Amino acid sequence: MGMDKAKKDELLKKLAQGVVEFEDDEVRDAAQEWVDTGEDTYDAIFEGLVAGMEEVGRLFSAQEYFVPEMLMAADSLYIGLDILKPHMIPRDSGVKGTVVIGTVQGDVHDIGKNIVKMMFDVAGFNVFDLGRDVPLEDFLKKQLETNSDIVCLSAMMTTTMMGMPKVIEMIRQKNPNCKIMIGGAPITDDIVGKFGADATAKDASNALEEAVKMIVSLRDIQREAQANKG
Amino acid sequence: MTNNTMTARERVLRTLKGEKVTPVPCFSGVGNVTTKGLDKLGYRFADLHNDAKKMAEAGMSTWELFGYECVVIPFDLCMEAEALGCVMNPYAETNELLYPTIKEKSKLTSEQLRQAATPELLTKGRIPMIIEAARLVREKVGDKVAIGSYVLGPFTLGGQINELEPLLKGALKKPDEMLEYLDAMADVIILVANHLLKNGIDYVSVREMGATSDVLSPRVFKKVIFPSLKKVADKVASPTILHICGSVLPVIDMMAECGFDALSIDSKTPMKEARAKVGEKTVILGNFNPFAALNTGSADEAYNIAAQCVKDGVNGVHPGCDIWPTAKPENIEAMIRAVRETSI
Repeated sequence: MGMDKAKKDELLKKLAQGVVEFEDDEVRDAAQEWVDTGEDTYDAIFEGLVAGMEEVGRLFSAQEYFVPEMLMAADSLYIGLDILKPHMIPRDSGVKGTVVIGTVQGDVHDIGKNIVKMMFDVAGFNVFDLGRDVPLEDFLKKQLETNSDIVCLSAMMTTTMMGMPKVIEMIRQKNPNCKIMIGGAPITDDIVGKFGADATAKDASNALEEAVKMIVSLRDIQREAQANKG
Repeated sequence: MTNNTMTARERVLRTLKGEKVTPVPCFSGVGNVTTKGLDKLGYRFADLHNDAKKMAEAGMSTWELFGYECVVIPFDLCMEAEALGCVMNPYAETNELLYPTIKEKSKLTSEQLRQAATPELLTKGRIPMIIEAARLVREKVGDKVAIGSYVLGPFTLGGQINELEPLLKGALKKPDEMLEYLDAMADVIILVANHLLKNGIDYVSVREMGATSDVLSPRVFKKVIFPSLKKVADKVASPTILHICGSVLPVIDMMAECGFDALSIDSKTPMKEARAKVGEKTVILGNFNPFAALNTGSADEAYNIAAQCVKDGVNGVHPGCDIWPTAKPENIEAMIRAVRETSI
């Protein structure tokens, strides 16, 4: 059982490259080959598939890749993930959180939301996806039900982002500690301030980074609260 | 002829013909109803979409209240999709201000679209109602102000009728299939746009925001999007405006090459660079972010943003998107004043 470093590197490269070039077959074969060795698939997911997706994110920021390329890469990633995930030995990565995500009512676009959701999924977050055209009060309901650390709201157009401040206000009233991220084409840092959200991100990789920062700060607050009690 | 004696309608239509009008017109080819207008009429936004009289009255309200130089109907993006068998959600039951969306997609194929592209299509959905609304507007405003309307571009309409994700992937992976699909979609759009222009609408915007360069690469735009857009430009009567929001600098030369009477761009596309790429002869409308200028900013900011558009050389001051109804009246007034007071 197991594999030598050269083989491992070769498969990691195939997984990453396969995602970047959306070569579904290459990803499928490399993932299966890895599983067949009997080795833990944690590295295959994070140093293979996710590393590939990070490169896709870089190409997207550099405007070499666009939305269709991103979608194709995400499909390849999921093909690999479906094969690898059942064989991953769960571990405590330190930062794990619960996220409620959805596209606000009036907006039926969910591609950007789905890509962000994928990043959370692979990073080990517990994700509750409400879908698209989500009635505003449903975000609050789900947040209270799951006690999620983060709520992510998506809107594609100026004409549909106006539901966001209402959701933010509802959640702030009931649970001021919950972090709120907003995203989509019309969202700027200026809008984040005006709507009273906590953050936005220019793409899915940055969204994940922001989310991890939020979880870390939430954990700090919880630890402090715990310490004060003691 | 002194420009002062021209009606708003003449100012807009001459601009779209490529004539220099001073000051440039301040108008839109997309939605611009305001909460102030709705309150005055006593209508909810959701009530406007299925009622010719309410649509006409609301459509005129921004012109009547502020002297905004256009009347644009309808207010949603579902007219053609409905005629093609999709079901619209007008959000009638909520009190939120929401733009209608398509809740059931008819998922027509290329072949079905070709079959649908007959004059019978023009009797379906709300198309007759919108023509009736245009007639009511004309009855009231005469020749004083131009009446605008819009259709979606082939790719964007495709995203209303079918799931967007396969279309986006298809643009990359199956360009020939997509070319055929968009060509069939163009037939529908040509039919509808010409019908509008023959029946009381003075100018038509073609909204192709789905193909903005934030979404599709310039390479895909050239190969997959351009041919059907050019077909629409070639076969629809004048005047037409091609409106694409987001960043379009990488494709603006191709947008110009399509042959629409004017291009409309939003604030994410820098005006001076756009002008440098397409030259003085291309009519460019733009290019401010309506939400930042009219809803969140101060009246002074609205004034400065509109004045800057004029200084940057737009042929008409035009928002990058629908004006969001809660726009502040004092900001709309400041925008219109700025356009009148700023010369280049």
